[in-house]
Amino acid sequence: MSRWLRPLYDLCGVLAAVALVAMLLVILAQILTRWAGITFPGATDYAGYLMAASFFFGLSHAFAHGAHIRVGLLLARLTGGARRLAELWCLAVGGGLAWYFAYYAVRGTYVSWLIGDISQGQDATPLWIPQLAMAAGTVVFALALTDRLLVVLFGGPLDQQATDRLDLADR
Amino acid sequence: MNETLATVVFLLALVVLLGTGVWVGLALLGVALVGMELFTSRPAGDAMITTIWTSSSSWALTALPLFVWMGEILFRTRLSEDMFNGLAPWLARLPGRLLHTNIVGCTIFAAVSGSSAATVSTIGKMSIPELRRRGYPEHMAIGTLAGAGTLGLMIPPSLIMIVYGVTTNESIAKLFMAGVVPGLVLATLFMGYVAVWAWLHPDAIPPEPAVPLRERLRRSRGLLPVLGLILAVLGSIYFGFATATEAASFGVVGSLLIAWWQGVLDRETFTASLMGAVRTSAMIALILMGAAFLALAMGFTGLPRALASWIASLNLSPIALIAALTLFYIVLGCFLDGISAVVLTISVVDPMIRAAGIDPIWFGVFIVVVVETAQITPPIGFNLFVLQGMTGHEIDYIARVSLPFFLLMVVMVVLLVAFPELALWLPETMREAPAG
Repeated sequence: MSRWLRPLYDLCGVLAAVALVAMLLVILAQILTRWAGITFPGATDYAGYLMAASFFFGLSHAFAHGAHIRVGLLLARLTGGARRLAELWCLAVGGGLAWYFAYYAVRGTYVSWLIGDISQGQDATPLWIPQLAMAAGTVVFALALTDRLLVVLFGGPLDQQATDRLDLADR
Repeated sequence: MNETLATVVFLLALVVLLGTGVWVGLALLGVALVGMELFTSRPAGDAMITTIWTSSSSWALTALPLFVWMGEILFRTRLSEDMFNGLAPWLARLPGRLLHTNIVGCTIFAAVSGSSAATVSTIGKMSIPELRRRGYPEHMAIGTLAGAGTLGLMIPPSLIMIVYGVTTNESIAKLFMAGVVPGLVLATLFMGYVAVWAWLHPDAIPPEPAVPLRERLRRSRGLLPVLGLILAVLGSIYFGFATATEAASFGVVGSLLIAWWQGVLDRETFTASLMGAVRTSAMIALILMGAAFLALAMGFTGLPRALASWIASLNLSPIALIAALTLFYIVLGCFLDGISAVVLTISVVDPMIRAAGIDPIWFGVFIVVVVETAQITPPIGFNLFVLQGMTGHEIDYIARVSLPFFLLMVVMVVLLVAFPELALWLPETMREAPAG
């Protein structure tokens, strides 16, 4: 990945981590308030939004660390130029799909704001607020694939992408 | 374009995108897009975003990142050493001696871990070097770990069961309970095989010094924290104190407490576990996002309905249908990981099995056992990759030594078909916590 975009993926990783911790705290608060006989309205909805934020911000961070899985059967059998070509195909198709995803994520969030879409749950949150994480996360994810495409196109290293491995397997 | 041609194009897109190595989640998204364009005039992109947003912010799914995080924390504690040292003196008298530490260790750890990669890594970290040092046969040390590691998916908590429950709208708590007894039966099958093997090869197993009872008890104290954690997580679900998500949050807090009590919880381990959890959950989430859109597109293709009515017209017995599905998933599992295999097929298979009158909770356990076998079948199997990194052996070697355990899992499928109560008894006796 290019050096000057790396901090952006790291920042997304930090945001994803903060969202995950916040989700845990909301769930714990919901349990504690239930035991205390108080209700915490909308807790399940807030936990859902925070999980979504963690997922969407996590996408680019996971990609930068080669954590997304793929079927490596063909890739593993290719070497040299053919391997690079196959990698470019994956990055071009994957990148195209990621930009398609990002475009509609941004559009969906904009439409939510435009029509003032409100959550159906007890929380009654305007939906565009939690959806901002989806819009931002998917755009950075698409950017990461394009970044990688350019690196591979101009002869950068291929080894950054682990094929078919879980994160735990790295150690 | 006629229906058949469209279906062929749709399936071709699936094979090409997945097969050439496009990231699984994006490949599923692409296939769904092709399906939407071919079979409906509805605007695909807007429908996609609504579906993906709903599925990635759903309350039922919140258990998933929490259980991932819990596994990441426990992997960094001293649990691995404590489990080996606590179990070894008790198991040393069984035929097969310390080979059983792999199986019992994985069984216990599976009850706090939702993935088999985490289970294999945590247990193998200690047991493989220890078994090697004592001169145990390498192929049995690795085979038992590869086989028993798959219990991580079977015994609750289980990431695959969360995914199955969310996609089919079945209770995750019930699915969890349904996995307990089959998981224990499978562990017993593994242990039985080790005992028979050891009895046939008496010279292969090195002797172990006898340990007095007092000393055994002293060493087992290390097992107490993990047993407490199992009680908190599974007990709270079984007795209806907590939903799967709430139990997962107890699990994270409990794991952090164990790490703190062992003195290994510093800024570095906390951050490493958290970031590991973020990456693994984002990886799974991307697959689920693609799968959610694919399920929507599948509805428009008419494939699930056509297949379900075709199957119905064949008048297959449920047994024949299950046999065919077993074969199908084992083959699919050679190319895809478990979660991808489940989410890719479930929108087609779910209506099929419901039409055939098969209990969806039972089917959840069945599908887990079958895709579990995929973890140790080449060329693609997560446990094989984890073990390759850990032991330095080739994939072929690891797959070969795991073969007996693969066959035992097929025996387990047969047992599950013959005795469906194995899966259904616990969920029927449990109390379920009110959702919300």
